[in-house]
Amino acid sequence: MAREIEFSIDAETGELTTHIRGIAGPACEQAAKLVAEYLGQPTSETKTAEYNLRTQVQSRVRGTHGGGNGGER
Amino acid sequence: MSKYIVFKEIVFKDRELLLAALADIGYARIEEGEALPLYGYRGDRRTETAQIAVRRAHLGFASNDLGFARIDAGYVPIISEYDRRALRGGRLLPELRAAYAERVVERVRNRLRGSARRVTEGSVTKIRVRF
Repeated sequence: MAREIEFSIDAETGELTTHIRGIAGPACEQAAKLVAEYLGQPTSETKTAEYNLRTQVQSRVRGTHGGGNGGER
Repeated sequence: MSKYIVFKEIVFKDRELLLAALADIGYARIEEGEALPLYGYRGDRRTETAQIAVRRAHLGFASNDLGFARIDAGYVPIISEYDRRALRGGRLLPELRAAYAERVVERVRNRLRGSARRVTEGSVTKIRVRF
């Protein structure tokens, strides 16, 4: 999945919402930090299922590698 | 006489983007300084001061100066009750916020060296920045 930030600007209110997609947990925080440089801290923030799912997958992969190394000792 | 209101919940964090957004909606002539006095439509000096000011001569008939005061989080608008209702048909702040948001998107796209795709659905414009 392509890395993407979706910005939604409501012309009625001028409100801006952002949705960061396709980026794993910590890198997602980096993208959010870049946006916050110009917008300040968000008034609300929700981590999507994708954020959590990708973090879990990475944790599992790291766990598997650790187990493999242990087996070779 | 219309009193000034400070909108603390509306913060424009970046000075450069705020100035660009003001220019985008037609207010390119601004003054900058420390504690600039704001004046009412009759030339009366008000108690409020600002770091960025759009003088009433560049706004509209019977307008008061429009100011932006710097706080820790950025710049907050100081606008009179009258101008809040009258300027741009009462839509000055939504239009300024939308213009600022457009500038933010462009700046983020540049920094990420990304591409942008824009779709409008009703009053909402969605801009997807891929990188």
